[in-house]
Amino acid sequence: MGFLDKLRSKRQGQRVVFIGLDGTPYTFLKRLIDEGRAPNAARLAEQGSLLRMESTWPWVSSVAWSTMMTGVNPGRHNIYGFIDRDPATYKQFIPTSRNMQAKTLWEVLSDAGKRVVVVNVPVTYPPRQVNGILVGGFLSPSLEKAVHPPAYLATLQSLGYIVDADPWKARESKDLAIQEVNAVLDARIRTLYHLLEREEWDYLHVHIMETDRLHHFLWQQMEEDHPTYGPAFYDFYQRIDDMLGQVAGKLDGNTTLVWMSDHGFCTVKREVYVNRWLMDKGWLRLRNVPPDRKKGLDEIDPSSVAYSLDPGRVVIRLRGREKDGCVAPGAEYEALRDEIATAALQLQDPDSGELIFQRAFKREELYHGPYLEQAADLILAPYDGYDPKGTLYKENLTFKGDELVGMHTHHDAMLYVRGRTLPQTRFSVLDVMPTILDLLEVPAPAGLDGHSLL
Amino acid sequence: MEQKGVTVWFTGMSGAGKTALAIRLEEELRKRGLRVERLDGDIVRKGLTRDLGFSKEDRDMNIERVTFVAKLLTRNGVAVLASFISPYRAARARARQEIGNFVEVFCYASLDTLVERDVKGLYKKALAGEIENFTGVSDPYEEPESPEVTIDSGTETIEESLGKILAKLEELGYVPTSEDDSAYTEDEEAEIEARLAALGYL
Repeated sequence: MGFLDKLRSKRQGQRVVFIGLDGTPYTFLKRLIDEGRAPNAARLAEQGSLLRMESTWPWVSSVAWSTMMTGVNPGRHNIYGFIDRDPATYKQFIPTSRNMQAKTLWEVLSDAGKRVVVVNVPVTYPPRQVNGILVGGFLSPSLEKAVHPPAYLATLQSLGYIVDADPWKARESKDLAIQEVNAVLDARIRTLYHLLEREEWDYLHVHIMETDRLHHFLWQQMEEDHPTYGPAFYDFYQRIDDMLGQVAGKLDGNTTLVWMSDHGFCTVKREVYVNRWLMDKGWLRLRNVPPDRKKGLDEIDPSSVAYSLDPGRVVIRLRGREKDGCVAPGAEYEALRDEIATAALQLQDPDSGELIFQRAFKREELYHGPYLEQAADLILAPYDGYDPKGTLYKENLTFKGDELVGMHTHHDAMLYVRGRTLPQTRFSVLDVMPTILDLLEVPAPAGLDGHSLL
Repeated sequence: MEQKGVTVWFTGMSGAGKTALAIRLEEELRKRGLRVERLDGDIVRKGLTRDLGFSKEDRDMNIERVTFVAKLLTRNGVAVLASFISPYRAARARARQEIGNFVEVFCYASLDTLVERDVKGLYKKALAGEIENFTGVSDPYEEPESPEVTIDSGTETIEESLGKILAKLEELGYVPTSEDDSAYTEDEEAEIEARLAALGYL
């Protein structure tokens, strides 16, 4: 490290640089390494541990990253999906950092006197107070409202920082999708290098969302070796690999490089409309067909016994909890829950005859804690390729579109820690926060659900 | 809504629950996205006022310095949670006057409760005459005459006490109420929902 760097680096002790690679599958990066397409990741993998990790159920980024940043399960952090509802009023809302009921990694580090810089992690909007800088993720309505402290906005603007790729452009054409994700990645990387070299931090976390966006719009083209979009996909990952190499090269001996993805990816075979299925089975009725979108869940007829929220979360209309709920707690509730679970596991793709769901978890099998009541009653876990959706009304059970062609998977998330040999055990995103605290030599708060892997 | 600075001043005898309540309130206000700083007697006396003892003059000086810090933070839009025995009415009145946005929380517990609880083992020593100037035993505690909130840690749970303080702070407009607590305006929420739908997340 040069003299100027030493002057700049006033922080004592261990530091961590954390790169979030949203939705980059472990198996995909391994393949890039094996095929010689990711020389930097290959070199770094030899200098540390690159491991496969399990995501959360459901495997959406809001749940997975909330679990990563708190080290506790959703029953304790209260984030169950990108959308949720107040069971008493059926008002739907987007869970944000205001709904998050657990302390985040960066809040624990701030309390320990560490300086943190955290950029673009899902469910960090509105920014909660930290000792350092926090920039909300793609659920922020604008950059202006996403930045703590507000004075840092000017720096981000001067860097041309962009909150997220424009999904409407990306849906318009594959060419625009590639253009869009690359432009946003440019801004993200520029910001990352700036923060790395110019800001003071003990923990620097920059979240790359563009990987997930690329996958949603182009995973199938990559898998099918499309003559134009296949190479464009690999070019994008060459840039990711280059970034990992550049970042690693800028770190001193006291700074550990960590990267993580929160779930895997695969090609969508079929979107599956769970509410259509509940209607076909007679468990869900709507007041109007098609329903008025503005009325949301109020279009559910009071005689209905169940409905679904995205992705695969089935809620039973329990009396005393749900608005006009008609299912009695106790035996009636349990019998219905078992009946729906059994039927879900038998549900087949009408075209191929393949089973759609591999598991139907009762909520208490996945979650525990004071916010368990907010959880859906059943969480349906699909086989890779079947993408459960929460749309209230669709005419058909399944659909295959050409705009959104990639979907998340559970078992193929990843964690990389440089300079450490981690055990090759089965672990999940729950274990990331205690591991980082361990790297930074900060005691973990009592009662986390995860454990340090060191 | 723009955060309005305020000092929540917890006063009461040692062991009455001032610090525990301030820590819970801090957590709650942070969850609601507010900027918070906590000033605590036990901590301040190790730094800012470490030269001071427990005579009336020193206690007044202790509160005077803390008041100055609280005033600066409050006028810059921070929620300051100050927990100090602050036994003298006059000193608290000066703090209220200096700071302006001031919410006094009287943390009460009967002396029997405090002696029985004796978390820091101080009452035992004070009653045995081993500590001089111990508030409530060998030094006076002047109870507030009209605090904004009174809590009784002998009969209330910490969550009940917290609820009373939050309700008062909401009423006075220092803390957003649950109705205006939404992270989004209606238009913003509609736009984010549309974005989520475009990404296939709804």
